[in-house]
Amino acid sequence: MGKTAVQLTKSNTGTSRFKTFFKELSKQKMLMLMSLPFLIWVIIFKYLPLWGWTIAFQKFKPAKDLFDQKWVGLDNFKFLFQEQQFYRVLRNTLVMSSINLVLGFVTAIVLALLLNELRNVLFKRTVQTISYLPYFISWVVAANIVQMALAPEGIINVLLIKAQLIDHPILWLGEGKYFWGILGVTEVWKNVGWNTIIYLAAITSIDPSQYEAAEIDGASRLQRMFYITLPGIKPVIVLILIMNLGHILESGFEAQYLLGNGMNLDYSENLDIFVLKYGMQMNNFGLATAAGMFKTVVSFIFLIAANNIAKRMGESRLY
Amino acid sequence: MRTKKWLQTGLAAVMASALLIAGCSGGNNGNKNSASGNDGEVSTEPVTFTYFGFGSNKDTMASDTTIGKKLQEQTGVDWKMEFVVGDGSTKSGVMIAGGDYPDVISPVGELAKLLDAGAYIPLNDLIEKYGPNIKRVYGDYMNKITNEDGNIYILPFTANVNGYLSPPDPSSTFWMQRRVLKEFGYPEVKTLDQYFELIEKYQAKYPKVDGKDTIGFVTFAGTPGEFYTITNQPMHLAGYPNEGAVLVDMDSHEAKLYQGTDTEKRWLAKLNEMNGKGLIDPETFTANKDQYLAKLTSGRVLGYVNYSWQVTDATNNLKSAGNDDLRYVALPIVYDESIKDAYVDPPSFVNNRGLGISVSAKDPVRIIKYFDNLLTDENQKLVQWGIEGETYSKNAEGRMIMSEEQLANRNDNDFKRKFGFAYFDYEWPRYGDNSVYDDGNAHVPFNQPEVAAINYTEGDKTLLEKYNLKTFSDFYAEPVERPWYPAWSIEKEPGSPEQLFSQRAGDLQQKYYPRMVLAAPGQFETVWNEYLAEFNKLDAKGYEEFMTNKIKDRVDGKW
Repeated sequence: MGKTAVQLTKSNTGTSRFKTFFKELSKQKMLMLMSLPFLIWVIIFKYLPLWGWTIAFQKFKPAKDLFDQKWVGLDNFKFLFQEQQFYRVLRNTLVMSSINLVLGFVTAIVLALLLNELRNVLFKRTVQTISYLPYFISWVVAANIVQMALAPEGIINVLLIKAQLIDHPILWLGEGKYFWGILGVTEVWKNVGWNTIIYLAAITSIDPSQYEAAEIDGASRLQRMFYITLPGIKPVIVLILIMNLGHILESGFEAQYLLGNGMNLDYSENLDIFVLKYGMQMNNFGLATAAGMFKTVVSFIFLIAANNIAKRMGESRLY
Repeated sequence: MRTKKWLQTGLAAVMASALLIAGCSGGNNGNKNSASGNDGEVSTEPVTFTYFGFGSNKDTMASDTTIGKKLQEQTGVDWKMEFVVGDGSTKSGVMIAGGDYPDVISPVGELAKLLDAGAYIPLNDLIEKYGPNIKRVYGDYMNKITNEDGNIYILPFTANVNGYLSPPDPSSTFWMQRRVLKEFGYPEVKTLDQYFELIEKYQAKYPKVDGKDTIGFVTFAGTPGEFYTITNQPMHLAGYPNEGAVLVDMDSHEAKLYQGTDTEKRWLAKLNEMNGKGLIDPETFTANKDQYLAKLTSGRVLGYVNYSWQVTDATNNLKSAGNDDLRYVALPIVYDESIKDAYVDPPSFVNNRGLGISVSAKDPVRIIKYFDNLLTDENQKLVQWGIEGETYSKNAEGRMIMSEEQLANRNDNDFKRKFGFAYFDYEWPRYGDNSVYDDGNAHVPFNQPEVAAINYTEGDKTLLEKYNLKTFSDFYAEPVERPWYPAWSIEKEPGSPEQLFSQRAGDLQQKYYPRMVLAAPGQFETVWNEYLAEFNKLDAKGYEEFMTNKIKDRVDGKW
């Protein structure tokens, strides 16, 4: 808060800084007043709940006062970091979310670029609608569709056998090594249309005269894409990348939970499922909170690092 | 100066409103537990209470069902009945965190959590004052329903009244398609080896049905929540009823885990062997429940393993499809001829499922009176049998019977909801399933031999005739009394070492079972040893000790 004001007066010396700050503040009185409700909202819903982090240091029993709780210091964290499984689920979480991040990015941008090149509006709309429809079905249904398709007698195996690429049906969900790939593809299928929307919106803000000028200069379609469209949406891309990096430890929960089974457990179980099993289901809220804190700290580091890198490189950034 | 003042006021306003709102969200979970005034004088004013069940059902108003309406006429009490949607443990967590409970809660698997949070009121005094029928029904079980702190919090569903009537149609977990038995002239099948041998022979003879491959054997282990389907079998094969994770010695009452022992290994080795012969469905560990049930109803499966209540939909569909050859029959399969099977549950009392009154209940006295009224003989007949002349009849000897149409209705899910059987025959204080009325009629219609007989199809009758049996229960050995039974209902405290052990051991099974079953025949031993090494890292001793102590307590009458 007020950082802009401070920055504006960078050249001033110590004492006068405050003066100018308050001067600036009173000038923007209306703005401040308008943001006040939101400030209150943020404090109440985002900062006050941080109080709940104390649970991470307790053997928490629900419906009891803070003073009746048993404090256990760092025990919950110790359990978490000493648990063998923790490192496996951490690896899975990082890998899956990186896959989602990269795949989600690339596919969404490519689809946006391609859609932008389409001249036939009806076809464009149809493609767009079909590609973002899966976003609206719940994961339960989506996972069912995926399971059906990947069953030994499902469409994927049938197609592969007909194409003589394999002789025996493959048990796709039964092999851990396939899981990450399957998940990546599923996520793309489900989310690509939705993710595209923001890039398409950014593209519309590019000045059409640039394209005209480029066309007159003899730029090919591909060149126009590379030299006008992509740089045009670069700020949006960087911004979204920074925001997504803040969710690096959130690789999703439903997809892994629904598609996971005993055979791909080693690859499908992520941090959230681990927390559900050893935290929530066992009424061990302390452990669940500790894991949540860990996630927040890691996300925080990623977010700030990405933002700083963007800042150094002179790109648009989050703050 | 003016600026500064403005800022101060602004900040103060922010702080004040923040504190105010935070303050409001806090202390709202006090006890609104006001017992209604003077004793005995309980009105029959119409009132609606809330009921929440952690079992699965559809939400309804009790008065929208025939049974609920009748009970409302007697007591003036109506119920808004709600059931859990999605994950029960999440729901109970939210309930506890909010401190806002419905009037009565049937906790199913969430009892320990809710007790821990103090969600229930003790019923002792209420029962003493207002519950003559409750005392009659639960009298013999008082020590089993009393908690360690001396209070009674829930009224369980398994208190048998007037003796013990075994069900005529119990089922084991091993099912065999009837055409397999027919093909080989209804042979005696007792051991696991015989069971698989028969499947193997049939599969070799008929590799395809209707152009599709027959599936030798399948079980349901693709969903983490139902993995017990495959892990429970060594226990049954060794001649024990469903105790959970342990085998309990009949004399010393020592509880021993069978995980990581030869009992478990034998089952997995057999599955591995069968898999080598291509008899195990590869989807056993990956299919979801829909896919699995679809498979069972397709008729291509020769044998499967499941508790009957896991697959009722599929078996009902097969029955209504009318081809008895494609239906399945449950057999008392064990490891060796010398082992006596224990598939029929011994007389048991499950004390961690029941209905209790929450601390938020507005009028516990009227609720306990409602429970008491529900437990009269007439009302118990109402919730199980319905109304005479409508859903059942009586023959000349005074035996309660059903016509085929009445029986079809009693089996029909929609009718059961409309009439209220689906809501009131379970998850309310009740007589246990094996109870008998004073006049000798069975409490549960399907335990009445006359009704069971009408329920049999032509195929059922042929099958029984071929084996020279009267009912399906004749397949099985008589149950042996086990005073602690069932060990699975022993509550483990949330977050305790025992619970942690269960979770870890279960995780190991989930990871290694598929590997062992699907391993190449020569590889089985290697994977088994790997599994054993991992298992030995866990504190199995501590868990066994905990269970043994609890079981000995139960034997001594301390439930």
